[in-house]
Amino acid sequence: MINVVISGYARSPFTLAHKGALARVRPDEMVGQVIKALVERTGVEPEDIEDVIMGCAFPEGEQGFNLGRIAVFLAGLPQSVAGTTVNRFCGSSMQSIHMAAGAIQLDAGEAFICAGAESMTRVPMTGFNPAPHPGLYESGTDVYISMGQTAENLANKYDISRESQQAFAVASHQKAASARANGGFADEIVPIIVGNLRVETDGGIREDSSQEVLDTLEPAFDKTGTVTAGTSSPLTDGAAAVLICTEDYADRKGLPKLARIKSVGVSGCAPEIMGIGPVAATAKALSRARLEMKDIDVVELNEAFSAQALAVIKEAKFDEKKINLDGGAIALGHPLGATGARITGKAASLLHREGAKFALATQCIGGGQGIATVLEACDG
Amino acid sequence: MGKSVTSGVSEPANDSTIKKVAVLGSGVMGGAIAAHVANAGVPVVLLDIPADGDNRNKIADGAIARMQKTNPAPFMAPEAAKLITTGNLDDDLERLSDADWICEAIVEKLDIKHELYRKIDPIRKRGSIVSSNTSTIPLHRLIDGQSDQFAADFLITHFFNPPRYMRLLEIVAGTTTRAKAEAQISTFGNVNLGKDIVHCRDTPGFIANRIGIYWMTVAMGEALDLGLSVEEADSIVGRPMGIPKTGIFGLADLTGIDLSPHVMRSMAELLPADDPFQKVYDEQGRLATLIQTMINDGYTGRKGKGGFYRLSKTDGKRIKESRNLESGEYGPAGKSHLESAKARKLRALVSHPDRGGTYAWRVLAQTLSYVASLVPEITDDIASVDRAMKSGYAWKSGPFEKIDQLGVHWFVDRLAADGMPIPPLLSQANGKPLYREEGSQIQVRTLDGGYQRIAQPQGAMRLSDYKRARDPVAANASASIWNLDDGVACLEFHSKMNAIDPQIIAMVREAAKIDKKGFKALIVYNDGSNFSVGANIGLALFAANAAMWPLIEQNTKEGQDAFLGLKYAPFPVVGAPSGMALGGGCEVLLHCDVIQAHAESYLGLVEVGVGFVPSWGGTKEVLLRNLAKEKRPGGAMPAISATFETISLAKVSRSAREAKKLLYLSETDGITMNRDRLLVDAKNRALAMIAGYAPPEKPEVSLPGATARVALEMTVNGFVANGRATHHDGTVTKALARVVSGGDTDIVDRVTEKDLLALEREAQMSLIKTSATLDRLEHMLETGKPLRN
Repeated sequence: MINVVISGYARSPFTLAHKGALARVRPDEMVGQVIKALVERTGVEPEDIEDVIMGCAFPEGEQGFNLGRIAVFLAGLPQSVAGTTVNRFCGSSMQSIHMAAGAIQLDAGEAFICAGAESMTRVPMTGFNPAPHPGLYESGTDVYISMGQTAENLANKYDISRESQQAFAVASHQKAASARANGGFADEIVPIIVGNLRVETDGGIREDSSQEVLDTLEPAFDKTGTVTAGTSSPLTDGAAAVLICTEDYADRKGLPKLARIKSVGVSGCAPEIMGIGPVAATAKALSRARLEMKDIDVVELNEAFSAQALAVIKEAKFDEKKINLDGGAIALGHPLGATGARITGKAASLLHREGAKFALATQCIGGGQGIATVLEACDG
Repeated sequence: MGKSVTSGVSEPANDSTIKKVAVLGSGVMGGAIAAHVANAGVPVVLLDIPADGDNRNKIADGAIARMQKTNPAPFMAPEAAKLITTGNLDDDLERLSDADWICEAIVEKLDIKHELYRKIDPIRKRGSIVSSNTSTIPLHRLIDGQSDQFAADFLITHFFNPPRYMRLLEIVAGTTTRAKAEAQISTFGNVNLGKDIVHCRDTPGFIANRIGIYWMTVAMGEALDLGLSVEEADSIVGRPMGIPKTGIFGLADLTGIDLSPHVMRSMAELLPADDPFQKVYDEQGRLATLIQTMINDGYTGRKGKGGFYRLSKTDGKRIKESRNLESGEYGPAGKSHLESAKARKLRALVSHPDRGGTYAWRVLAQTLSYVASLVPEITDDIASVDRAMKSGYAWKSGPFEKIDQLGVHWFVDRLAADGMPIPPLLSQANGKPLYREEGSQIQVRTLDGGYQRIAQPQGAMRLSDYKRARDPVAANASASIWNLDDGVACLEFHSKMNAIDPQIIAMVREAAKIDKKGFKALIVYNDGSNFSVGANIGLALFAANAAMWPLIEQNTKEGQDAFLGLKYAPFPVVGAPSGMALGGGCEVLLHCDVIQAHAESYLGLVEVGVGFVPSWGGTKEVLLRNLAKEKRPGGAMPAISATFETISLAKVSRSAREAKKLLYLSETDGITMNRDRLLVDAKNRALAMIAGYAPPEKPEVSLPGATARVALEMTVNGFVANGRATHHDGTVTKALARVVSGGDTDIVDRVTEKDLLALEREAQMSLIKTSATLDRLEHMLETGKPLRN
């Protein structure tokens, strides 16, 4: 096996779709700026980059035309760098990382940009022309089920109260607010500049979130249910990127090394409880790394919904203290295609920052899937 | 859509000499006047006194923000607000230098107005017009001490609240006012702002308030004297007396009870000691005491915690309560049991032996003889008095029209019998009516004892003006066709509430063949306050209860065919709505070549409220318009989603301007601000289209079929789950989803208009067989409100 490392991680600020500061910024422009900054910050030779592997959940409109290739030009990379776009919905840019690691094992390149972008303002979730398969839909499968309903299903199945969902959301906001105040995002955020517009801070974090405020919200998806807009990740605009390369290349070129990729896994599950996807994917990745959950020091678990994250924590027996140290998607937001690169990059930086040994990044995926990546400290 | 429209279509002849307006004072009236000028598409500067703090324009800015939330909305569309720029009276007076009309609406204090006038006089441009919106200060005092040029350019423009909706604009020109300035503002007010202009003399309260305040004082005072309850008084003053259904106490709640003492006192101060108002107004009297008590207790009307009526919430239900005028306590509002309230004619009302009849007579006798005694003091033109009360106080008929309804002779005799003085105007009339029809004209009595034709501004005509002394080209109980001359015919609906029934459909079919009778263009128009409230659902419910399915389907098909006939007629068809055009009423308009709409047109396909989908081609037309719309994202789905949203949410436009956004109107359709000008504008539009007219091409479209239906169904399921839609909303909108997605088609196939109409019928037939749709129909017929089942 060739050792593969995450050498650098950068992201745009994440801001609320429609009303946030990035609403007027094209997603291709946004991710182009993030990649450009990542290349500058890591010091990788642009000519050495084999491919830009771009995750995007709705690759059409401004996210169309093979966004991966478009980003090559917008980031000012040499035209010898290839570009591709991959889609695994919310897991898209974590999938980019897996594909780069796989390509490296095939000796098909030394350095890759694995990025993700989603403007949920400018390309609607479901896309402009949703065209589900009528026969499949009418056969009774839940593959097209609304994400909110899956969260309600998990809340019911795992008996997760509205109050505990709200406590989880409040904690996410508090951790994110405290991380921002302590410079926890300073190294990762790339200011996005378009004309006179300069966006450099996240838009979704609410320092003043509380049970009392969240109590006032109506159920968002099921009038008899417990899931509200406040316990769901918001529609978000944002982009993220990581530099993946061989450990040998990083050492040779003197590039930073945040973490080594130890193992990966993907797995399918029932669509109506898609949020439980991380459980099976994590089990696969841990087993491939010959580790157990107790060995993991840092976890980035994507917070699609409070109920969903709490169900995973309950089922996979995660230690809540190790999860999402700088807050999660409920506070920061969840630009679908960008989240995988964010949480994997974040897990790598946290491993570095916390001086820990092993990290896990995992997320659930609409349609009923999970994806997981296990990271290992490089100096260990 | 796609129909050739001859260029050079004549938009209404706007007064183009007023290109920029300034309004000084952003209070309730100033702000709303500015908003209405913006509604007319004219840029406005709105200034108020400077505020403390960072933003010195805070007061004017605040007025705009407030108006964007006010209901009824002062703005016809949110974008209109962008035509208003705000400022303050200290820093921004220079911005008046290019205003053609400066309208002052500041506090009613003479010295403050004088000071402002002196400041703006050197800044304003030559020939600009200055007016005051004062309701209490005479013009001669306003110009006292001002420059000669100022006095020549000055007049009073008195708007009624709220200015967008109240049609009256009183204009008072002084002896020094330039005739051209008065004419310019009159034209601008009439054409651009859509107002009914009444020229007044410089007398206290001008016309409408002089009469209105007297009438309100008498009507409230007599109710107290006769011991009537507020419901009883309102049941008489409302419909039977031909005043809006609010009646007198309901009206006081609406206008604000706290305004009454000020308004009555200032009228008493302005009027001479021998004016009859001084006899009915007593500052220490019972009425004044009652009003003051209510104000002190916070009962200022609808804007406060209630007035003569209030809404109280018990167990989550809102109950209407009324005030006991004796005890001051509130109890559930009851119905009036006065027999007289059922009287259909005015003479029967005032002759009725019960307390209501006595009350009606006392109020009308005093009010009408007061009005008659004011001519010629307030005007020589009695028709303009009637217009003022109709468009300023929303009376159904004016005071002189009421005298005619009673009969001049009868009224004079009854006054005499009661020992009341007879106004000279009436004694001189010698029993002759105040209005008469002479051929095609309506004439009004003049002071010299003769009659003259009622003067109307050029371009202002109603269908009733054409109908007089001529027979319809064709007619049945619900609709008629009239000759409007110049080769133009008019299709008129006149069923109850202009609801569309089989006889209207039959007349639509006739109208589509009107070229055979030599006509070259058709206008679909009526004088009603609502163009049409939709299909006659009583008939649909009856047929469904009797399971007459083939008949229902046939009616649907006949409506579709009749409207298609209009669309493909070999001559131009212009729809000209005003007020509500809902359901089937909207569907007729969607099949016209162009629309010339009154600005206050409220269009909407509201069928889902009664458990149907629009099936006289309305769904089809909105879908085709969305598909043909430029500047929308690619693919069929955005157009389908937009159509689905418009119809499933039963969106109704709150103005003609908003109807363009919903695609009920197209960008090239015209808007007429003045209701009285709608017919002539529509006729001009039709005339301009005759040369070279060709009917539209028949559209064919590609639609995705089942996949789009499924995508919409997913959305519907989400709304039903989260409670924003009911169970039957789900059923109805899923039927709609099948129509707008093209049924069983495939994206590579072509769908014709006929295919879409067949899908509409299929949806209609599936829904009318559900008991939930029948429940909705029944509920709507019984309550006038949609059932959420």
